[in-house]
Order: sequence, then structure tokens, then C-alpha cells
Amino acid sequence: MESARAVAKVCESNSLQQWEVVGEQDYGHSIDLEAGKISLAAGGGSGGLGLRVVEDGRYGYAHLADASGAQRAVQDALSIARKSPSIAGFELPVDSGSAATSGLIDRRIIDMSSDDILEQADEILSSVTALDSRAVVTGGGIGAGAGAEVIINSNGIEDGGIHTSHGFGIQVGIDEDDHLTSAYEGSSSRSQLSDVEQVIERAVYWAQITRNTIDSGEVSDCPVLMTAQGFSPLFSMVVPTALMGERIAQGESFWSKRMGEKVIADHLTIIDDRIMEGGMSSSSRDGEGVLTKRQTLVDSGRLQSSLWSTRDACRMVAEGKVEHAQTTGSASRGGYQSPPGTGCGNLLLQSSQKSHSRDSLIEEMDEGYIVHSVMGAHTANPTSGDFSVTTSMVLRVEEGEIIGSLKQAGLSGNIGKALAGDLMLGDKIRSNGSYSSGSMYLPDVLLKQGLRINPA
Amino acid sequence: MVIATRAQEGPSQGRMHLLDRDKIQPALDLALAEGAQYAELRLVCETTNSASLRDGKLHSAIPGQEVGATLRILADGAWGVHSTTDIASIPSQIESTVRLAKAVALRRNRADVGVSLAEVPIIQDELHWNAPKDVREIDLETRLEMMGQVHAEADDDERIISVRCGWSDEHLHHELLTSEGMDRTWSFQRIMTNTMVTARDGDDVVSYRSRTGGEGGLELIEATDLGNMGRTCRESAIRLLSAERAPSGKMTLVADRDLTGVYIHEALGHPCEADLVAAGDSCLEGKLGEKIGSDIVTVIDDPMIRGGYGAYPIDDEGVDTRTKSLIENGVLTDYLNHRETAHKFDLIPNGAARAQDGLHHPLVRMSNTMIMGGNHRDLDELIEDIDHGVFACGSRGGQVDTGRGSFQFAAQEAWLIENGELTNPLKDVSVSGMTLQILKQVDGLTRDAALAAPGFCGKGQTVPVGDGGPLMRIKEALVG
Repeated sequence: MESARAVAKVCESNSLQQWEVVGEQDYGHSIDLEAGKISLAAGGGSGGLGLRVVEDGRYGYAHLADASGAQRAVQDALSIARKSPSIAGFELPVDSGSAATSGLIDRRIIDMSSDDILEQADEILSSVTALDSRAVVTGGGIGAGAGAEVIINSNGIEDGGIHTSHGFGIQVGIDEDDHLTSAYEGSSSRSQLSDVEQVIERAVYWAQITRNTIDSGEVSDCPVLMTAQGFSPLFSMVVPTALMGERIAQGESFWSKRMGEKVIADHLTIIDDRIMEGGMSSSSRDGEGVLTKRQTLVDSGRLQSSLWSTRDACRMVAEGKVEHAQTTGSASRGGYQSPPGTGCGNLLLQSSQKSHSRDSLIEEMDEGYIVHSVMGAHTANPTSGDFSVTTSMVLRVEEGEIIGSLKQAGLSGNIGKALAGDLMLGDKIRSNGSYSSGSMYLPDVLLKQGLRINPA
Repeated sequence: MVIATRAQEGPSQGRMHLLDRDKIQPALDLALAEGAQYAELRLVCETTNSASLRDGKLHSAIPGQEVGATLRILADGAWGVHSTTDIASIPSQIESTVRLAKAVALRRNRADVGVSLAEVPIIQDELHWNAPKDVREIDLETRLEMMGQVHAEADDDERIISVRCGWSDEHLHHELLTSEGMDRTWSFQRIMTNTMVTARDGDDVVSYRSRTGGEGGLELIEATDLGNMGRTCRESAIRLLSAERAPSGKMTLVADRDLTGVYIHEALGHPCEADLVAAGDSCLEGKLGEKIGSDIVTVIDDPMIRGGYGAYPIDDEGVDTRTKSLIENGVLTDYLNHRETAHKFDLIPNGAARAQDGLHHPLVRMSNTMIMGGNHRDLDELIEDIDHGVFACGSRGGQVDTGRGSFQFAAQEAWLIENGELTNPLKDVSVSGMTLQILKQVDGLTRDAALAAPGFCGKGQTVPVGDGGPLMRIKEALVG
């Protein structure tokens, strides 16, 4: 906070029209796991400051390592602002009160020492071997840390927060009879992890079950049960982008010109909950200091609203792309190194219909495939929703029973169309880590239409 | 500490070190006195500029500086690491980092072999790859004018609904001091501009993107026909509006230079990384000297290709870079390694240790990875005897499961090949396969190998890479 205030003073002394200073500092411990053992232990911290200047609707940005560079950063940001196009009505947010989001700090994480993390790493390694003596953690790691953020602007916003995080991920391999199978699982939380054993069990299970390979079938358009872990990377690559207000206004979203219309199955609702207790992307304020909220974006299948930050909203109105838009508290930053853009926080997919256990979804599917992870989710096309990826974690289901694993298969389709088709949701919402587009809280999804499996 | 943003003030001129040798060297000596086998401190100072245009207007311009340092200590055969942006605090972290390394060592089984490092030449020098047109001298107007050239051509159709142009350049200053007496300082620069064009026709919306750049300065962008880059993106986006979905199944695939590059990066480059081999997570474990590809496949990884986006003069362990021959005529000849894996596999360190920045420790990484050229004259000769296949162009990225040896990559656009000719445009083409099968399926390469567009590689840390090759034909690939 002191460094940010020092930069703020420099802004004031330069008589800037409007300014915003953000600061970040984090520290933590981490352990790398490799070849069944701890390969490295690390600790440390990093931090920096960002400065946004607004003058007559024009903005400039600069980031700096510490407050000693404030004067130069002010001049850099101001120089850029004066070359930027003016956006009518664009001003930095005004303070509108305060709020707190709970569940973001766990004292136990702050108190964790490097020895504690080493102990946890040991337990993970031995748990894997205890479940299956052939199983080895070939890669992964565990980490715990805390971060602090601060934002101060010329319109009265001055706030800061602390969050903690605890996470781990393991790649488990079973290499026997010249046949290697592996599976990656992980978990992360704002509080001390409580699901380590379950995550380990899943990793070992998938490394085991994919050893039972069966002959490849034919290319088929068939029901596919995407587990939450398999579906999240694809969903996160496509859906948050399609819900950006700016992209909808520009015509860059496959949901452009469809506000108020039914865009996905009418039992589905998509919510961005930035105040979710303990959410990995929760915070009381967004990336430019606006108070955050829980907002329903798609309600019973109908597109109801979209995500906006202050500048995008002003720009689209000024350019006549939309009649009215204002911030939804959806400004996101990639860190102090970049100015705020627009993004989602914690994105939830829910159904008004009865949810189902994985076993009952498999039974319901009768014949098809279960996909637990995909390769190449980042190659999905967020503009069209089309994707064509590969999976080595794919199980064949016949007569409601898993009969074996394919060695590899292609999986293709369109996320928007698949969500608009016949589908059922599982009964367990899982957080699947944080993506650049936010955190996804999704259940298993049985997509009965729109996907193609292409066995290798 | 003052860090210059302009070339004449900067450390690259050999007049300035950011690490105070009088404080750091005793600190590294202290690590040895505390029982360490080896200690190093590596600092990276990045002077960066990025900018973007949206629909021809300046959207953002961000100048910045980042300084980070990582202390890495090997004690009792195990690593302890401390990373920080608070450079002045480093000497005070020596003892705790030695303790951390020893704590890791204590948790090893007796049967585990501790980490040792292969010997390398101990060098004290400075090496600066100065760009003819230093990125720190580029003003914002120049960046905007050049992106504007792309935009002007890209936007020239009513079906184009948005054009996003981006720019990034960076000057990277590295210093490495080790307890062995290594004292190296090096610097180089990178530059890149990119564009993404979105087209819409009714409910159909598509996008196409392109990048250009590499290791060097403004001269790289000046040498690019930026108008052609914008025009190509526009034409491809418009073509995709009416393209058909790709057929699914096994068929002959011809890949352009971009996709040949991403293929060899994913399918072979990653499994060749010796840290993954050592971890038991590579399908190439134990296969050095074995024939794993067809006779025409020769692959190199070469950080010395100046202008390649993955070029660097010295690796992050202070080892001089060199050309690494990974496959020669189908035979696996080398792994990419750093000092730890070189010792483990009794290989010569080949300069493949790279860290994302000053706050990360080095891993084994690729640089500029290429398949070398073959004997086919051109595309026409490659496809003339293909009855049914796909010609895929432009990369949307890829991924690999190094342990299972399976990979995937996606194309931006493609054409159907029918009876030796390109026919219908296709979209959403992805290709997958198993490394040890597909390398043997490569049965045609054109003569003209070269690096393709700049790329980025993620392996827990993100580093810039170059990859490429000639046009490549795979006899049978799984297309989706």
C-alpha cells in the first residue's frame, strides 16, 4: 500500500486529470515432483505497480518495478494517453461503497512453512504408490502462497485485499509391459486443500482404466459424456469470450445480435459469480475497483446480459455499436503489467432439471464415449465455437457399461451448438483451476448431440 | 538500482552490470561454506513495449520494465531455489535456500541418485546480440504506422467486422554468476507483430490470425510486407466463411511450413526434452540411436539461427548455444538437455536450459526447431499422386502427451486434395497421431526448409520459440 500511495502522490503532484494505481505483491513456497520424488523446493516473492492515466477520455498505461520509477511512468502513460483516441464519457470508476468477499484467506496457508509443503509432497508421493505400486508421479507439484493487491484512484477508490492459495497437480504414470498410461489431476483452493486423497484416487484410476484398450471403432456422431475436467478447458476457451459485451457488440461472438433470445438449452443457466465464497476468481472489486456481483448471463437458455468493463462500455456506446452499456464489474487484469480488460470471474453452468450421478449419466447414454481430458483445447475457435481436439482419456460405453479405453481419438463439434442440444448435467460441480478467461465451476455434461468421435 | 530504457544508457553496451559483484560473489561463496555443491544467481531485466490497434485505432500501448532474479543452490544432491523481484534481498536468502535444498535431500530414498551437474567451460565474458535497429529506439508512432499498414489491407471488405493488430518488442539483459566462477552477461532482443481478422456473413463468423517477427529489432518488421500480411488474413477469413468442415478419418496430409513446424515441435521436440525423459514421461526414453522416423526425416534444434523467435546466444545455465541434431535420417541422435540431465545421461550439455524470465528456474526447452528439406520440388509435386487428402495451412497451436507419445495440432484453414489437385476450402482441421508411428509416415518433403511464424511454448513456463521446415507430406494421419 505504501508504494502505491507513493506513486499516487506523484500522480497528484503532476496534476493529472484522472489516475489509477494498482499494486501487487505475492510470496509463496512450491515443490516440484518428478520421477516419483521431490526434485526441487522453491520460495520467493514478486511484485510491482501499474499506473493508468486518463485525460479527456484518452488513456495511457505504464508499469513499474517500484515507486522510484513513478515520475517516468507518469510521463510515459501521459504521453501515450495524448496519442490515444478520445472516448466520449470515459472516466475512471467512482467509489460506490465497500464490500467484502469471504473465504479468500486461510490463515493455515499463511502459516505453512516450506517443511509443511515438503511433508505434503511426501504424502502425495506415498499415497499414489499405496494405491497402485506400479504408479509413479512423473511430474507435477504443490504450492501454497499469499498475495496482496491494492488499488487507488483519483475518484476516491482506495482498497486492498489479501488472498491465499493452495494447490497441487500430479501426472501419474503406469509403465508396465512396455505400455505407458498416464493421467493428470489437480486441485486448487483459497483455503487449505481438503480433497487431496480424492484427486490422487482419480489420477490413479484414470491411469489404470485407460490401460484396458480395445479396438478402435468407426467415426461416429454419438453421445459423449464430458467429465467436468474434460469439459472445462473447452468451455473456458469458448464461452467466456462469447459473453464479452464488446465482442457481442462488434459482431465477433456467435451470440451477437441474440440478446434476449434462446441460445442454449432452456434448462441451462450461466452465472458469473465474482463474489462466490472462496471462489478462485472472487474479489470484492474488479480490476478497476468497481464492486463485483453475481450476475446471470444466460437465464433458462436465454442470453440476458454480457460482461463489460468501463472503457469497453464507453467505447462501444461512443462508436454507436450499442445504445447503452455500462460496467458490470467485470474488469480483469493479467497482473499489474497490463491495463484492465474485460473477463469473467467464476463461471457456473447450472440446470433446472434434475442432476445426475456419473453412473446414471453413463446408464442414460447407453452407447457412446466418456472423455476425461482433451489435448489442444486452446486450439478451439472462440469466434465460431468450433473445436477439433484429441483425447487419450476416452472410454467406450456400450449398454450403459464401460467396456474399455481407446488409445486415442479425435473429438470435434461446436460448443455453442452442443449446449443448445439435448444434454444432461451431473450432480457435482467441480472447480477446475483458473484459466486466463476465469475460473470454471462445471459439472459433468452428457452431450447427446453435436459431437463426433474419430477413433485413431 | 537504475535500469536504462534507451540503448545508449543500457547495460547492453557493456558499461553496466545490474548485479553488484562485490556483494553477490561473497554470497555465493557463503553458500559453499554452508555446504552447497553449487550456487548460482541469474538476473533478467526485460525492457518491454506492447501496443495494439482495434479497428485502426490505438487501443493500448504499454511500456514496462521487469527485473527478477533467481538464486539456485544445489546441496546434498538436491535443489533449493529462491526467486524475487527484490534484488537487494538476495544475499540474505543464501542460508535459508541452502537449508531448503538440504531438506529436499533428506527426503530422498537412499537408493535415489542425487543431482550432479555436467562440467561446462567456466567463462567470464559479455556477449550482446545488438540489433541493427534497436527496439528501445522505436517510438509509438512507428509501431502504429506499421500496424496501420496491416489494418488497411485487412479491413478492405464489408464482411470483415473487426481487425485486431498487436505489437510487442523486448530487450532482454541477462547476468549469471556462479560459485564455479562463471560470470556471463548477455543480451538480445525480440520483436513481433500480429493480427487477427474476424469476418461475418449472417450467422457464420470466422477468424484468421497471423504473426511475424523474430530475434532482432525493427529491421525484421521493416523487411516484412505488412500489407500482404493483412491481405492474406482478409482473404483467408473470407474464404473460411464458405469453407466446409473437414472430413474425418485417416488420410494423406500435406502440411505447410507453419504446421510442419508445430508438428515437429509437439511430436518430437517435447519428447526429446531430457528432463521429461528422466522423469519417465517421454516415449523416446531409451531410444537414442534407434530408427524412429523415415529416412528423409532430419531434425535440428538451433538457438543460433539469428532472426528465429527462439534464438538466444547463451542458455540460462551459461552454456554456449549450438546446433543440436535430434534426428538424422530417421535415427534419434540426441536429447535436448541441461547440465543436470546431461550428467544423468552422460551427454554433452547442449545449451537447452531456458527459463521464462528472471523469476523462474531453467528447464530443458526447445529454441528454433526444424525439419530439414527433402527432395520434392514444390507443393504440386507433393500432391500430384494423392487421390484423397488434405493440405493444411496456418497453425492454431498444438499439444502433446509426451509419455503416451500422442500429439495434436490444429490448422487455421485447409484444402481438400482430390486426384492430385487442391479443390474445396476446409475449416476446423486438426491432426493427431502417435509420435513413433507418424515420424515413419513422413514420405515427402520439399527442398526449401525455413522457420515459420513466431510461436510460444508452454511447459509450466512460457518461452518464445521458432519452428518450421519445408512442406511435408504424411502418408496417413488422423484428420478430424
